[in-house]
Amino acid sequence: MSERRTDAPAKLQVFRYRPSDGRIQAVIGDLDETLRSTDLVAYASDALSSETFVCHAVANDDEAVADELCFIPQGDHCDILSMRTRGWKRHHGDHRRSLVEILNTLAAAVACGKLRILDAEETRTESGAGDVLQEIAIADSGTLARARDAVQHALELSGIDADTCQRTTLCVSEALTNILLHGGGHGAMTVRRLPGRVRIVVADEGPGLNFLNWIEPPAIGGQASMGYGFKIILDNLDAVALHTCPEGTTLLLDRVVD
Amino acid sequence: MLSTSVAPGPAPTVFLSGEMDLDCADTLREAVAEAGRGAEAVVLDFSGVSFIDSSGTGIFVRLCLDLRSQGTPLAARNLTPAVRGVFDMLRVRDLVGEEVFPD
Repeated sequence: MSERRTDAPAKLQVFRYRPSDGRIQAVIGDLDETLRSTDLVAYASDALSSETFVCHAVANDDEAVADELCFIPQGDHCDILSMRTRGWKRHHGDHRRSLVEILNTLAAAVACGKLRILDAEETRTESGAGDVLQEIAIADSGTLARARDAVQHALELSGIDADTCQRTTLCVSEALTNILLHGGGHGAMTVRRLPGRVRIVVADEGPGLNFLNWIEPPAIGGQASMGYGFKIILDNLDAVALHTCPEGTTLLLDRVVD
Repeated sequence: MLSTSVAPGPAPTVFLSGEMDLDCADTLREAVAEAGRGAEAVVLDFSGVSFIDSSGTGIFVRLCLDLRSQGTPLAARNLTPAVRGVFDMLRVRDLVGEEVFPD
């Protein structure tokens, strides 16, 4: 993964609290002892009982403490997004987005049900659901068009209109480009048919999503930025699920069909 | 895959045809560099572009800014709905300026 120079490193972690077992599970990143488990449980319980999305800005006198914590009730559990910005702020006239904006985009997508953050077991189950329509290895930029064609073909067979089809292939292109630029350079795309939907599974064995790559707009560096690519994905698909860890990243891109 | 052809002149037009993604970078840069050599301006005609993503957009914006810094303005014409939609999503007009889009 290309390292981007920045004034301050940042980190996104996702945890899950289930009242049924009373524990905090790390879904993305490690559960850090500097985030007090009792605080997380208390805030998560509040969010669940009030059925309300809760955001806490945390003073970071100690740099190890998260700047923002979002608690998102999900019925039987609460998802917790933690963003450490370590004081990184957008300067006047700076086109880069603030990390808090990125967190808010993610948290809002989780809160409205557009984005699900999966753990490893959920990813294995959901990646294997339905019938395989197409499998394509992604190894270089020359495979992007072939992969888009495969998705378009599957969607056309499902009776999807041309505009929806085009928006879906755009999202697939963004996800696959991320593999080439940041996900180790190779991976796989599988198109699957599930009841009522077409699911495109995009997986790599790269080092995991680096959310610092999401800051820059694509035009500045002349290359794609998964930050904007990911926003395109969230804005244009019916449902998205994400699992990322140091061993790889998997995205499930769902298009509802009749 | 992207293919290009050039109508020469003081402000040559580079006609783009096909798909603009990460794969188009070299093709587009070479075509624009050649067309822009000694030119007063360069026009990119998007009427044949059926697909563009954020990588293709990034390459276009980079070219735009690079040519401008060399004193050669670039204009984009005949944007297809697919291109216009992605440019709007990525706020390309804010990045390169309205003057790039004389249509």
